[in-house]
Amino acid sequence: MRAALALLLALPPAGAVAVPPRVATLDLCADELALMLAAPGQLVSVSRLGADPRETTLAARARGLPVNRGRVTDVAALAPELVLAVGGDPAGRAAAARLGMRVLTLPWPATLAEVRANTRAAASAIGRAAAGEAAVAAMDAALGPPPATVRPALLVGGGGVTPAADGLAAAWLRRAGLAQQAVPKGQLALERLLASPPDVLVTSRYHAGETSRHQAWLAHPAFIRLPATVRRATTDGRPWTCMGPPLAAEVARLRRSVPPLLAGKGDASSGTGR
Amino acid sequence: MSERRLIFALALACIALAAASLLWDPDSLRDVADRDPILARAILIELRLPRTALALLIGGSLGLAGAAVQALLANPLASPDVLGPSGGAALGAVLAGYFLGGGTLAMTAGGVGGALLALALLVALAGPAASTATLILAGVAVSALAGAAVNLALSLAPSPYALYDVLFWLLGSLADRSLPQLAAAGPLIAAGAVTLIAQRRRLDALALGEEVAASLGVGVGRLRWRVVGATGVMVGAGVAVAGAIGFIGLIVPHLVRPLVGHRPGAALVPSTLAGAALLTAADLAVRVPVNGQEMKLGVLTALVGAPFFLALVLRQRGRP
Repeated sequence: MRAALALLLALPPAGAVAVPPRVATLDLCADELALMLAAPGQLVSVSRLGADPRETTLAARARGLPVNRGRVTDVAALAPELVLAVGGDPAGRAAAARLGMRVLTLPWPATLAEVRANTRAAASAIGRAAAGEAAVAAMDAALGPPPATVRPALLVGGGGVTPAADGLAAAWLRRAGLAQQAVPKGQLALERLLASPPDVLVTSRYHAGETSRHQAWLAHPAFIRLPATVRRATTDGRPWTCMGPPLAAEVARLRRSVPPLLAGKGDASSGTGR
Repeated sequence: MSERRLIFALALACIALAAASLLWDPDSLRDVADRDPILARAILIELRLPRTALALLIGGSLGLAGAAVQALLANPLASPDVLGPSGGAALGAVLAGYFLGGGTLAMTAGGVGGALLALALLVALAGPAASTATLILAGVAVSALAGAAVNLALSLAPSPYALYDVLFWLLGSLADRSLPQLAAAGPLIAAGAVTLIAQRRRLDALALGEEVAASLGVGVGRLRWRVVGATGVMVGAGVAVAGAIGFIGLIVPHLVRPLVGHRPGAALVPSTLAGAALLTAADLAVRVPVNGQEMKLGVLTALVGAPFFLALVLRQRGRP
């Protein structure tokens, strides 16, 4: 007992340089990075979305943490040394600076390389560089080598919202062997879906258990009339909100569930959309 | 033009516009039919049929409700959007979306309930024998209250997705509607329309003044409640399915009345048909993409309707 106490008292000076800063996060995407990378006890608060199992796959790790509503003043009393944000608003950043908190605002990633860079930047800022390298390695291991061929596909969420064909979501989909089709303004009309169905239709299960107008769109009777040649798949919608490293496992699952076109049916990348 | 010929001409216009709405973009439809006839059938039955039928029904209900309310209040500025049932229906549907989920039946019930509540509040506020000025003032107050409550609900939206969802629904649209939605709103609108059209002779009598109407055996109090109730049901069901579509109920009776000798009762059926034709035409127009996207139906009707409203006010200004 006395020995343990001595050890405890002896620890702080020994590790003084390496004590990771107390961290609070203010938005879902920063929550996910911190929940993934932080050491136990290092995180003092996440946003309410980061603790909501409907919004993020990492919510279980936020159990017991105080949640905030995304404002610097919410976390001021917890005296974090570092506030981590993705995107972020300049007013909030200025407020945090006035309150003497260090703020790291990471940019929205637009490529997989920027996802890795964000992960590493967040990790080194919270003094967990090794965890950052491990997360990036795990992400790349889950993704595997880029697929040789891709099939024309459409990822669509409730209400017909679709990600752009040249954005980060499309980059992730490409690693699942799926080439996201372009939809004007990202808003898919059912008539267009029926008139030129994609090879693979991936629908998001985001908030699937709830009745909403968004979900009602996905339940439109027209979906049943899609030709049998359209391969249907569903995806866990949660990691698609921030599209950080937690998405890698979901993309790997999609890649396994949607096999590439068999050799002999033609080169998939040449397009079989019509 | 006789009333009969006017009705015939408007019915023809409705049929032509409905056909255009069903067969819109025939080239690509033929393309799909050549590839996969079942798919082309699905586009027609599951997507275009409910869209066209809802445009006819909701447009008709708005034209009819506008004509009936203008006849009841003997005021050319009265319409469902001015008096509050549209705003009440929007609020009711938003609340139903929050607390009962966004299912078709819940939204329809919320819309009808909200519209009826707004109208009940209107009648209570204005009193039983209200002057039209009082009624319109009360209507503006009810509309403002409903609008503020909708904005409150929007600012308390649980997530940006929900906000986006409600906001776009409020702009009004008939895209991607389904047969179940038609089945939910259709009977309510039809029942309201039958009730209103059955009041045509009483509304004609009312145009001679309340005392004259009473001496002709018209129960003015009952007539008022029937018109208010049927309008609430129709407008509520329409808003729940298509969102807020303004100005049809205001414009259409003005276009029709000069053609039927300014008899308010005779204007009911032509107003129904003209409203149906106008909304179907508007729904065709929004399908021409602007900046790569379909315009929202409620935005188009407001863009066309607001200048008309201004012209109406200008014309009224010269009168005593």
